[in-house]
Amino acid sequence: MIKEGHFGFYEAFSLMTIVLITKIFFASPMVIIKTLGTAAWLGTLVSCATSIVFFFILYSLMKRFPQQDLYQIFESVTGKMVGKSLIIIFGIFLLYSAAVNLREFITVLKIYSMPFTPPGVLIFAFLLVVTALAYVGLEGIARTAFVFFYPVIGSLFLIIILSIPSYDFDYLKPYFGYGLMHTLFIGTLRSSAYDEIVFLAVIIRSIHGLKLFKKAGFSSLLLTGIVFSTCLACIVAAFQYTVGSEHVSGMYQLTRIIYFSRFFQRIEAIFLFIWVITSIITVSFTFYLALSSYCRAFEINNHRPLLLPFSILTFVLALYPSTLAEIIEVHIMILREFSSVILMLIPVMVFILAVVRGKKGVMRNANTN
Amino acid sequence: MPIPIRKLIAIGIVLCFFLPLGGCYDATEIDEEVYALVIGVDKGVNNMVRITFQYATYKDGGGGKAGGGGSDGGGSEESGEVDGTIVSTVEASSLLGAINLLDAAVNRQISLMHAKMLVFSEEYAREGIARYVEPLARFREVREFMRVVVCKGKAEDFIMENKTFIGTNSAKNIELMFEQSKNSGYFPDVFFNDFYIALLAPYGQSCAIYAGVNDFQHFPQDTGGKNPPLNTKQDMEPGDIPRKGGTKNELFGTVVFDGDKMVGSLTPDETRFFLMGIGEFRRGFFVLEDPEKPGFIFVIEAELSKSPKMKGNMEGGRPVLDLELTLDADIVSIQSRNSYENLDHIKGLEKIIEDYFTTGLTKTIERTQQEWNSDIFHFGKKIAGEFQTIQEFEQYNWLSHYKEAKISTQVNVNLRRSGYIYEAKPIRGTSEGGQGST
Repeated sequence: MIKEGHFGFYEAFSLMTIVLITKIFFASPMVIIKTLGTAAWLGTLVSCATSIVFFFILYSLMKRFPQQDLYQIFESVTGKMVGKSLIIIFGIFLLYSAAVNLREFITVLKIYSMPFTPPGVLIFAFLLVVTALAYVGLEGIARTAFVFFYPVIGSLFLIIILSIPSYDFDYLKPYFGYGLMHTLFIGTLRSSAYDEIVFLAVIIRSIHGLKLFKKAGFSSLLLTGIVFSTCLACIVAAFQYTVGSEHVSGMYQLTRIIYFSRFFQRIEAIFLFIWVITSIITVSFTFYLALSSYCRAFEINNHRPLLLPFSILTFVLALYPSTLAEIIEVHIMILREFSSVILMLIPVMVFILAVVRGKKGVMRNANTN
Repeated sequence: MPIPIRKLIAIGIVLCFFLPLGGCYDATEIDEEVYALVIGVDKGVNNMVRITFQYATYKDGGGGKAGGGGSDGGGSEESGEVDGTIVSTVEASSLLGAINLLDAAVNRQISLMHAKMLVFSEEYAREGIARYVEPLARFREVREFMRVVVCKGKAEDFIMENKTFIGTNSAKNIELMFEQSKNSGYFPDVFFNDFYIALLAPYGQSCAIYAGVNDFQHFPQDTGGKNPPLNTKQDMEPGDIPRKGGTKNELFGTVVFDGDKMVGSLTPDETRFFLMGIGEFRRGFFVLEDPEKPGFIFVIEAELSKSPKMKGNMEGGRPVLDLELTLDADIVSIQSRNSYENLDHIKGLEKIIEDYFTTGLTKTIERTQQEWNSDIFHFGKKIAGEFQTIQEFEQYNWLSHYKEAKISTQVNVNLRRSGYIYEAKPIRGTSEGGQGST
């Protein structure tokens, strides 16, 4: 097993929050406003509530098997063969997720900031940093997330505050968007946007036990829900649901309309750095977990020799979508609407199986938090 | 101690990583581009459109005949030089296509990153401008803060008169020109972003700045001692202000759109009431006739003391709206020197001013309802709350029902101060009435 190091609550909380909120910078607001209209802010709260319910089930599963991470539980409950298959499925999904997130970032970067740089060059440069972070390992990624947590949340807060003159919250009317039932249904379906929280169960052995797992998971879900809902409400209040559903990156557009005087405008470049950092942390984390899943499935103790092949795989996968439409309408939809089939359904099924079979973990130490 | 070869290789590899940081592909030196300050759209003759660009030349002091203000404003008409800028017009099938066509004649890439004004000719605006707004909303270079102007006559002629009379910086000049909206309220300061949002909005319609070129022919000749009538209304169109000297361009009034088509315009006075209604009025002088001394005027400087209160609901299927404004005003002139500012008279004066604003606001709203059925006030955002879903609201189609709305207005005025003088004393002289001989 790879030595992944240990870190505390703040690192775990920062890492999960950044991984969860990164998508707000890209095409997610556009997709959700297009689907839910003026009720986008409400829909994401429904998604968050659904995720919290899921996290509670996940917590129950982890509690049933103290001192084991999710992959170990897979093997304990379903047997070695099926368990390893599930780990490989997770690993493939994680690699796909890293590649799609990377490509989404690169596409938005090309649209808004670097139109003439070939995607391959941008992906290569980005992957160099990702690989370096993955080389350092999980602890390094978590500590980097902690360092950048306050600048990221602070800059988000700043964007929302500085855009206040552009808001008119009357544009959140009609309040139920395309219908309350529609909002509830789509909100539940789109809980996939929060399902990266399951990764916390994969890295549970690095975060000092169940109590911290529970605290970090609930806190990051709650904060992400609030951030998503606030950002969506602000985008709709500034651009209405019509134009809000057109912008490839609603948050970037929000920074572009910050204007206080002739001297205080065009400040979006400052926020670009923050978006680069959050994307790097998110992709590094999923990339590392993909690598780690592979090592776990095939019982490899050192992940570093696999960095190069996995980087090449990610590079190829990231280059696979050829158009923006393909990225948004196929890959991001799979990631944000249907990923729960893997990330949520598998742990829930494993939990049900554990309950039915009456399987429980063994407590080796009385002090398990 | 010698550095191990492995470390050297590692350092070399790391240094290689810095190579792409230069952003080679997207790197552009500032003087490799030329920045369009103004974009004008006119109807073409042999092709769809004529696009006019006014761009800076980087020459010291503005280049050409710097500073403007001369009889011809500086520059040669053939080369399109206008006070440190070049005005070039090209006929093309599209706005962005025009840039590439112009690249054949300009030795630098034309960039729209610093475009500050988009001018449509009135003729074009009346036919519909959506297809020329769309590429600008989509194109990466266009800023959201570019202003949208509709001008009487050709956009090209308007841009040719966009001269720098004060200072040498054309870009600053253009930006400050729009800032004047805050000082007078005679035209709205319409950003491209707001214009585009309003074009797509189900809550209301869009508006733009109305502009024109003044040929100074409206400045009347001396009538030889005849007493002129008192006219406190500003109901002229841009280009018609009786004046001479200075720049010929005028921003004066508001263009009203229905969808993407211009359907009419508000006078400068109506523009002020419109801006008050939407909470965008900053300040301005208002000249009113003295109620006790006809022929004399008093002047107040008014500003919105708080955001307008707008309420809306449906009563028996009819939209009913209330708009309440609160203004703070200072008395800045009383020609008759009557003491309107003291406690005995101030309430009476406030009532007169309130009536003036209420009537003006009501008439402006009625005009947008009856004449154009165009809700540039965006009252629709209050009515939207009466519907549970977007489908219901869109099916109702507020924009078509705007004319049916019953809209009540109320303006509260607080006369706060009276300038440097409180209770002015009469002017004394030898003639009857004690004001001396004039």
